[in-house]
Amino acid sequence: MKNAKKFRFEIVASVVIAATFAVTVPAQQNMSKAPTPADWAALAKLADFNGVWERAGVGGGGNPAFGTAPAAPRGNQPPAGNRGAAPQRGARAEGGAGAAAGGRGGAPSFTPQYEALRADAARAPQPEDNSTANCLPPGMPGIMTQPYPMEFLMTPGKVTIIIEAYTQVRHIYTDGRALPQDPDPKFFGTSIGRWEGNTLVAETVGFNDHVQLARGVPHSDKMKIVERFKLTDADTMSIETTITDPGVLAAPYTTTGTLRRHRDWTISEYICEENNRNYVDQTGKAGINLTVPGTPKKD
Amino acid sequence: MKHSFLLALLVASLAAAAALPAAAHHSFAAFDITSQKTVSGTVRQVDWTNPHIWLWIDVPNDKGGSDTYGFEGMSPNFLARRGWSRTTLKTGDKITVSYRPMKDGSNGGMFMTGQMTNGKVLSMMGGNDAPER
Repeated sequence: MKNAKKFRFEIVASVVIAATFAVTVPAQQNMSKAPTPADWAALAKLADFNGVWERAGVGGGGNPAFGTAPAAPRGNQPPAGNRGAAPQRGARAEGGAGAAAGGRGGAPSFTPQYEALRADAARAPQPEDNSTANCLPPGMPGIMTQPYPMEFLMTPGKVTIIIEAYTQVRHIYTDGRALPQDPDPKFFGTSIGRWEGNTLVAETVGFNDHVQLARGVPHSDKMKIVERFKLTDADTMSIETTITDPGVLAAPYTTTGTLRRHRDWTISEYICEENNRNYVDQTGKAGINLTVPGTPKKD
Repeated sequence: MKHSFLLALLVASLAAAAALPAAAHHSFAAFDITSQKTVSGTVRQVDWTNPHIWLWIDVPNDKGGSDTYGFEGMSPNFLARRGWSRTTLKTGDKITVSYRPMKDGSNGGMFMTGQMTNGKVLSMMGGNDAPER
């Protein structure tokens, strides 16, 4: 009898626990379904983004800061010109929109309240560097315009972007799931994608405070980035990036960038902390540790 | 005339700031990018490491000894795709380095080009087999 009673208690307890979990743990809407052979076959009908890509115009060509250009361009080097990033205010902001590749140039336009913030920040003493000097990655969309390659991988229900710079990765879910209603803020947000013909349209929401629209200008939790990826020839991809943030941006802010596919490249290791001698402190003062290896640290 | 020159200079420097590949990782605040210096010495150590390579060069001083200079270069990833390898420069190599000096006067700066005794010119932008000149 006693055992039966105890047994009944255990059942009740189990039900209570199960019910509690049902309430606190939402149903796993983001479950990825097991791909079928048809799912794999369907990939072949999409535009092929697989491979290693780098922003057009990285390196090569006379860069005044580095002195005279080499006599002849090296192999694998993208053609000169189309250097991408427009010299916009906020270009050094952490992952700021200004860091986006700018085919159209110009800076984002803000609503009066946020334009005042931008102007104040522009008048204030400028930090000499941002937290990328301490090896934090830039956020979106700046992480997409680094002078390092990115590998695109297409698998059923997902496009994965492996970003060499800072060893980062973006996951763009194309399995029909919805954007999260209340996403945790992240450097790269949370992304879903859909195919419109041969164009991959990715929508991203949920950015953390490292993402700034310009130096000193925060974004709201309504900030959204829409990227349109498409091939413009066999080994060229255009990315049109549009940022909206009602109440902060006076108008959608669109930039375009170009990637070139390098069939003979692979993604390399990039562990920023390996030998990072650069730093920036809380006051924005930047510096370099010039301690000679193998010698006692100087005071 | 003068103004258009200044404007051109401003535009050029803005464009340079935007295009600097190393800007991915950090600013150039520590370097005086308006000046250029040259030293000759012997390679003490090559750090073929991310996020930047570092070249340590022993430069003879006027006291009969030598001072070690540190030069920051691009990343090994960037350079390996543009003709460099980790053995392009080796301990003991003689080299003349052109660089953007540290603003604080420390021994070192940002590596621009290196002239080897065999005439080879190393550039951070690639082309380590550029012809003699």
